[in-house]
Amino acid sequence: MYHGEYKTVGGKLVIVDFDIVNDQLTNVSVSGDFFLEPAEALEQINRAIEGFPVAVSQEILATAILDALDPGVEMIGFSPEAVAIAVRRGIDGV
Amino acid sequence: MTADRTNWRDHDWQLIRGEPVPVVLNHALDEVLVRRVGHGERSPTLRFWDRQGPEIVLGRFQSVRNEVQVENTTADGIEVNRRITGGGAMFVEPQNAVTYSIYAPADLVKGLGFADSYAFLDEWVIEGLRSLGIDAWYEPINDITSSGGKIGGAAQARRHGAVLHHVTMAYDMAPESLPKYLRIGQEKLSDKGITSANRRVGPLRLQTQMERLDIIEHLIGTFRERHGLTPGQITEDEMQEAEELVRTQFGTEEWRFLLP
Repeated sequence: MYHGEYKTVGGKLVIVDFDIVNDQLTNVSVSGDFFLEPAEALEQINRAIEGFPVAVSQEILATAILDALDPGVEMIGFSPEAVAIAVRRGIDGV
Repeated sequence: MTADRTNWRDHDWQLIRGEPVPVVLNHALDEVLVRRVGHGERSPTLRFWDRQGPEIVLGRFQSVRNEVQVENTTADGIEVNRRITGGGAMFVEPQNAVTYSIYAPADLVKGLGFADSYAFLDEWVIEGLRSLGIDAWYEPINDITSSGGKIGGAAQARRHGAVLHHVTMAYDMAPESLPKYLRIGQEKLSDKGITSANRRVGPLRLQTQMERLDIIEHLIGTFRERHGLTPGQITEDEMQEAEELVRTQFGTEEWRFLLP
């Protein structure tokens, strides 16, 4: 089980828990004290990260998360970049 | 954008003074009442909560194992609930907190950004606290604070064409319980060296020397003067629906451990 955290400038904490199987991210679960409308969009974020190789860059992850969101989804207190940083930290063990 | 935004006074605001209920029922009532306001089956409503016991409340997007010391909450019989709004975990004891919910039609905040809508829906509280001598202000996105310390936090969810906006303020502190029940990660500590959960708090009792119920009465008076407010109550039908939701959702392990 891998675990990464990133605290945004506004103070919200983004946490990502996942497994690594065959050098790929799986069982991704993003959590934290942020706000997200609609709530169901959390699954879109998890799925966007699923399957990337451990070598993936923060920028590519952030773009993938942004692209996966339906129009009208609002991330409040966090961002695709914040999630991507938390994922990278989890992979890198920092 | 703002052309169809309504004003507070366009609505017939109803007040619910909740009897103490089983803690989980409050979260189901939030869902039932915001839906009914959104569907036009109930007037926009301000509800002050009461609780029959203590609870840990998680934000909608928080995971239990990352936030809660389950072995300690289980040993002490502290219920862990999940609310339908985002935001952070709290340990709440009935006598130490003031909690209210606003159930508003979405058009009351139409055209406002999310951050602005938080401050807007709590303007009356800031005014009410200031008239008690507290120099309260809003700290975006969702904190009510003062020079005497943080007072409380708000959380919102938009659903069914309505906004649920609820706030919990510290009336009194039981600080020794916090590290026992909530997990505080290293990253959380990195900001200002302190945590959201035990950041310097300025509880209302310390700042006003007033009784909890007197503060609630005062805040209700402020809302009534600014926006108008008629006494109301939870209907039998609404209560039955909330109790059913406790059975099917809010009281289930699936919901509590939605993010394990």
